[in-house]
Amino acid sequence: MKVAYYKGCLASLSAKELDSSTQALAPKLNIELDELDAVTCCGAGDIHEAEPDYYLHLNARILAYGEQTGADTLMTICNVCTLNLRQANWQLKNDDELRERVNRNLETVGVPPYSGNIEVKHLLWLIAEGDGYERLKEVAHKGLKGLKVAPFYGCQILRPSKLLGFEDPDRPHSLEAIIDACGGEAIDYPAKIKCCGFPIIQAREATALGELLQPIEQATEAGADAMVTPCPLCHLSLDAWQSKLREATGRDFHMPILHLSQLIGVAAGLDDSELKFKRHVVSVKPVLDKLEV
Amino acid sequence: MTEPAAHTWEGPTMDVTLKIWRVDGDGERELKTYEVEAPEWACLLDVLDIIKDRHDGTLAYRKSCRMMICGSCGMRMDGRAILACKERMKPIVDSGHVPVISPMGNLPVIKDLVVDMSPFWQKIRAVKPWLDPGYDEASERERVVSQQQMNVIRKESLCIMCGCCVSECNAMEADPDFLGPAALAKGMRFVGDARDHDEIDRLNSLNDEHGIWDCTRCYFCNERCPKGVDPRDAIAKLGAESIKEGIDHDLGAKHAKWFVTSAKTTGWLRETELVPKTQGILGALKETKFALALARRGKVPPPGPIHVAAEVDQARALYNLVKEQGRDGALGIVQGERGLARIEHVEAEGARRDASEITSGEEPPPAEG
Repeated sequence: MKVAYYKGCLASLSAKELDSSTQALAPKLNIELDELDAVTCCGAGDIHEAEPDYYLHLNARILAYGEQTGADTLMTICNVCTLNLRQANWQLKNDDELRERVNRNLETVGVPPYSGNIEVKHLLWLIAEGDGYERLKEVAHKGLKGLKVAPFYGCQILRPSKLLGFEDPDRPHSLEAIIDACGGEAIDYPAKIKCCGFPIIQAREATALGELLQPIEQATEAGADAMVTPCPLCHLSLDAWQSKLREATGRDFHMPILHLSQLIGVAAGLDDSELKFKRHVVSVKPVLDKLEV
Repeated sequence: MTEPAAHTWEGPTMDVTLKIWRVDGDGERELKTYEVEAPEWACLLDVLDIIKDRHDGTLAYRKSCRMMICGSCGMRMDGRAILACKERMKPIVDSGHVPVISPMGNLPVIKDLVVDMSPFWQKIRAVKPWLDPGYDEASERERVVSQQQMNVIRKESLCIMCGCCVSECNAMEADPDFLGPAALAKGMRFVGDARDHDEIDRLNSLNDEHGIWDCTRCYFCNERCPKGVDPRDAIAKLGAESIKEGIDHDLGAKHAKWFVTSAKTTGWLRETELVPKTQGILGALKETKFALALARRGKVPPPGPIHVAAEVDQARALYNLVKEQGRDGALGIVQGERGLARIEHVEAEGARRDASEITSGEEPPPAEG
């Protein structure tokens, strides 16, 4: 299946390992990536809050270029991109008058108009749809050797379910099923659907760390060897800001945090040059030792 | 416990099993199971009434209108805040699931399912929830407000102040002083009211430390609101109105504005500059040790040639074009509400609630408010 691949900001910058592992994994999952290059940031919720009309136009432009690839699906690898693009997509698809105005503006600056014919889906959903789990069992031939993995969904792939709606926002199951299909053991804990604090980690660090503590503490107490997340912002918060939790609480969790594409990738036998675990702040070595990689 | 009286309902009945967290005045708590017969049309509130009338008169909960207007019966079912009068029990009974009922979160528990709403009301009062028309004497002619003007606060006006949004607010769990989704949505209801003349003072006050920029965008409030207020969207409207009026001293506002600058100059987020642009040079220097630790892992792209998106001049031209068209501030969000209101997939296939085994949420989280 060919998809328009929108990788977003973080996978181009601080989370390059997410992009490289996604690019390496996609062919194994029969996903052909047509990468969009003439696109911008989705606004990450910030442009929606600062200049909402500009947010809508930027996202319309991304959707328009996605549609130009001829694919039915625009694939995201970030929760925040997923929500921002899906929200704009609903607004444009369901309101002809609004779409016509936005299209006039797009055409004025040389962007093809958006006709409303592309669906925005996260990589997680593409894997979890149809016979995805069955296919995964073949792809993940190296397995996870019973590794105890705590799934961390993050907010904007679940809520608001009106705009996302892939699974039960309170009892999601897609990550657990993927962990299971790859030969790991999914760890359950209440904070798996809660916020990592990232959107306010610069403006309100103490509050953000208060949020971040919950999932890491609960996953640790539940005996997780690692956590996995479909969102690079959650990843940055859980991985890079873990050292700040040590300063704030005196506790050192040493919890390795994996991107979804890395977890499946390591089970599928991808190379370290593709997985790039050395780019993590918290060492992934205990996981790799356990998997004998 | 006395023997329950025979039922008096017309029509078919069902056997309902519930677990309820009972909390006494000293904070001692116990998960008690109740099995009662109820008519098939019963909602959770009806079942609680049956328990109280016929099985255990000591059960405490709030109720009044029974029709989703008064906002009294907010509580949690399986860890999510709901109105007891809105939850039909038949599908739950049919699935064989035994729901766990507990009090709302982020508010102190008085007894059983009754929480102390005082912190909630204090925050509502703090946003001055009344109109300030800017004159003392009424004019002789009526002041006509257009439908378009009222559309700005259509959703915010639906709030029944039940507290379901506050119950699950993740930012409030970490910062109990956060004004929170209900009070901020109420704030927007007056900031956006064309008849109010106190917008700037209101916005300045809502930009204080525990205001707009405390919101962590977890979207639990939009998910829980039983009336479609979408408090998170109301908070975004307040942010947009603040920036439109030049009220941008908060780190949150500076953070948001940097994304706009990034998009129109390079297309992608200029991540390396985000910290100094948000926190200022001094704030950034305090973070030097932390930044170096990240830089060692390639998490901080080195300064130098900035990664520029192809055709970024289009993004810049779009910015100039939309600024000329003047849909600044809340209007930029309001214009999208019509499309969002037409989403029809929710009932049919979206928001599936299909897992009968409860894991998360059975244990009510601490609710010290």
